[in-house]
Amino acid sequence: MAQNTIPSRRPQIAVLANIYKTHLHTQHIVDRILDGYGWGGVYHHPPLDVVSLFVEQRGEGDLSSERAMRHSGMKIYPTIAQALTRGTGKLAVDGVVYIGEQGVYPRNKKGQTEYPRYQFFEHVVDVFRASGRAVPFYVDKHLSWKWDWAKDMYDTSRKMGFPLMAGSSVPVTWRMPQVEMPLGASVREAICVAYGNVDSYDIHALEGVQCLVERRKGGETGVEWLQAYRGDNFWKAHEQGLWSPALFKTALCRSETLKSGRESFTGVYPTIREMKALATDPVAYHYQYRDGLRSTIMLLSGLVEDFNFAAAVEGLPKPFSTMMYLSHGTQAATLESYFSPLVHYIEQMMLTGREPYPVERVLLATGLVCAGIDSLFQGQQRVQTPQLAIHYQPGESTLRRT
Amino acid sequence: MLNRRRFLGYSTLAPAILADRWLLPSAAAQEPSRPSETPLRLAIIGSTYHYGSDLQTIADRFLVGYPHEGDWHIPNVQVVSMYVEPKPRVGPVPTGGQRAQEDGRVQEDRRAPVAQSAQRPLPFGGREAASAPVPEDGSGPLADLSERRSKEFGFRLCHNIREALRCSGNHNAVDAVLAVVEQGDYPRNDKGQILYPRYDFFQQCAQVFEEEGRAVPYFNSESLSFSFREAQTMVATSERLKFPMLAGSSLPVTWRLPDIDIPIGARIEEAVMVGEGDFDGMDFDALEAMQSMLERREGGETGVKAVQLLKGDDVWAAGDSGRWSKELLSSALSRSDGPLGLTVLDGRPQDMAASGVLPQLAKNPAAYCIEYNDGTRATLLMLNGADQDFTFSARVVGHGLIATQFFRSPAPNVTYSACLTAKIEQMFTTGIAPYPVRRTLLTSGILEACLTSRARLNQRIETPQLAVSYRPPAESQYART
Repeated sequence: MAQNTIPSRRPQIAVLANIYKTHLHTQHIVDRILDGYGWGGVYHHPPLDVVSLFVEQRGEGDLSSERAMRHSGMKIYPTIAQALTRGTGKLAVDGVVYIGEQGVYPRNKKGQTEYPRYQFFEHVVDVFRASGRAVPFYVDKHLSWKWDWAKDMYDTSRKMGFPLMAGSSVPVTWRMPQVEMPLGASVREAICVAYGNVDSYDIHALEGVQCLVERRKGGETGVEWLQAYRGDNFWKAHEQGLWSPALFKTALCRSETLKSGRESFTGVYPTIREMKALATDPVAYHYQYRDGLRSTIMLLSGLVEDFNFAAAVEGLPKPFSTMMYLSHGTQAATLESYFSPLVHYIEQMMLTGREPYPVERVLLATGLVCAGIDSLFQGQQRVQTPQLAIHYQPGESTLRRT
Repeated sequence: MLNRRRFLGYSTLAPAILADRWLLPSAAAQEPSRPSETPLRLAIIGSTYHYGSDLQTIADRFLVGYPHEGDWHIPNVQVVSMYVEPKPRVGPVPTGGQRAQEDGRVQEDRRAPVAQSAQRPLPFGGREAASAPVPEDGSGPLADLSERRSKEFGFRLCHNIREALRCSGNHNAVDAVLAVVEQGDYPRNDKGQILYPRYDFFQQCAQVFEEEGRAVPYFNSESLSFSFREAQTMVATSERLKFPMLAGSSLPVTWRLPDIDIPIGARIEEAVMVGEGDFDGMDFDALEAMQSMLERREGGETGVKAVQLLKGDDVWAAGDSGRWSKELLSSALSRSDGPLGLTVLDGRPQDMAASGVLPQLAKNPAAYCIEYNDGTRATLLMLNGADQDFTFSARVVGHGLIATQFFRSPAPNVTYSACLTAKIEQMFTTGIAPYPVRRTLLTSGILEACLTSRARLNQRIETPQLAVSYRPPAESQYART
């Protein structure tokens, strides 16, 4: 297999998508490649050419035709293989962007939506193999709903030697405050108070935690076990101090959306009783890393609508804490600008042929989502995760700074 | 009770009383400092205490605390008294520069003629109402909360400002004053300025300070006054009586995206700020946010030479002729998360400044062109209909473009007011204003002059009165930690 080479001209990109409609991930990502976005204090037009588009589920509200009309270089193809080969019979693009999020797909008994990321990936890799050449590949959000498939995607990319990027925008968006976990820090405990649904927003919280704690002393060593807590079990665990009450409070105090439990108040710290009334379906994934670090992510819809982190770090006088900002929380926001840093790093990968941050981060987070859902499915039992003995070292800090 | 006549009486008497050259020792110098565990006694005075009003969002933080640096901070402050103007504050307003008195007679107003009534108050000033939940107790979103809060938190609800400061006794019984005179049913003058009685509130406090020889820290929310002359008097009074004073908007102290400031002492070639809102509304906040950046330039602040407010097609013509920089407009807008038009239609990002859509979207644009005494040029572009964020860009020698968004955190929490409350509390407890009130003084004057330009058919207005000099704080004061 020929190694990926950096093209001397503007990279030509194939876009594959489940669905391309307003306010869905494809629209946010692909529109930024096509129409540009604000970056570094100027309006930036990426030096990439989207030359082909395959969308699996079109129909009412589909934006493909309108976008192809305005960007005549982008042709719509009826299959994945044709989008990649463009009538030449072999791979004819310099990079692949696949947004396998949203669209109508079956839900399994565990509550997972069976997005066809692995199937798309297989199709793409078939073309790579047949062409004797592989190019950088971006997969939106986590790798797959099934651990074995996610692992296979990762292993295949290593074996074939093509750059693979995936994951959430949470690790690369703005932070308030704009702080980074000190490299080599001794992290004693980490927590993320977030919102949203299982098999949807849990991955964002997990990756948010992971991009911080992977910078700890020794780097990443993987996760030993995970246990989910939901409903009454969540509050019992909370009251028993399974996770640090101080970190929980710190995280809530970073929120821009913490609900007041009392009418007529716009900002009052809620009591536990009020929290229980506000967050009616609380979920936590509590997990232990192989080096002993304990982390917890919580989905507390009704209480907050943002991603808030806190960690106890040796040597810091008070907890490390920040909010990772997704712009759809404000009245003024019409743009979901947290996709801009994601597109920035897609661009970087397409231009340099290098993974902008370790794909092992999202592999581990993918495995944690699977373990969390398994634990919930198994009556909130502890799940051992020997498959998540994933080692890696953090790269450059990638939080948004401009 | 503070009736109309007494209110006006205070207003007109106060300057005469305050003209006395008697210099007051400051409270800080006069008294031993409070033991740290004793709560600071706070009087709150204002106009509108309903859910989502500026007074509610700031005052409540002194009652129930606020998020600050990763903790829920409970100020060591005891609210001891409150005065909220009874409603309706201003009766039916006759035209021709007259105000009705309570007895029905009409008195000549010392201010400019009244043109129209101010907006009806809404939660969050109507700015953030879209997604703001309202209370469900049947009291309605605009129910006055002062009595309820008074009962719950045990502070005295007073009938006038003097009583609030004296807590019904004979002496000034508070250690600080918080004044939030914002929203409420106040008239506008012919320049479109809302006649908020901030000066009157201040002067009544200053009168008590002066009579008793004890002055305490004073916070004034938003602009000092619609009248620069009054604003100057307020600042001069605080300087003469030696009490610390802080004023202004939360926009200069909120989070910035990215976390960036003008390097202190840098040479700024030109600046553009973009905002949205009404005249004498959010334009003040935008101007003050821009001022908080520009005051850091080489030589510090030396004041403003002239202003001109342009409207409609003249705004775009001024851009074409280089009066304001299109590059800086594009740069500022690149920091926005709130473009309108096609973004609202289908989510697409837009290069608004380059695509030519701005004149179509911003039907009634306004450019507040500011010429500083040191030659620096700055322009606030209010582009209602085109963009909803508050963004800034400056061309800075040796640093290229410095551009950021002033983050307006979501309602109902509006935690930008927590950022401001932290600054207010800092002044109350240390006796030192974290940034100069002259920033607000100059901004109040810039806005008044711009609205004068607007009323004079958009003439350029020379502003010799705005030779306001001050030094910026050494440390950036916006939310960073």
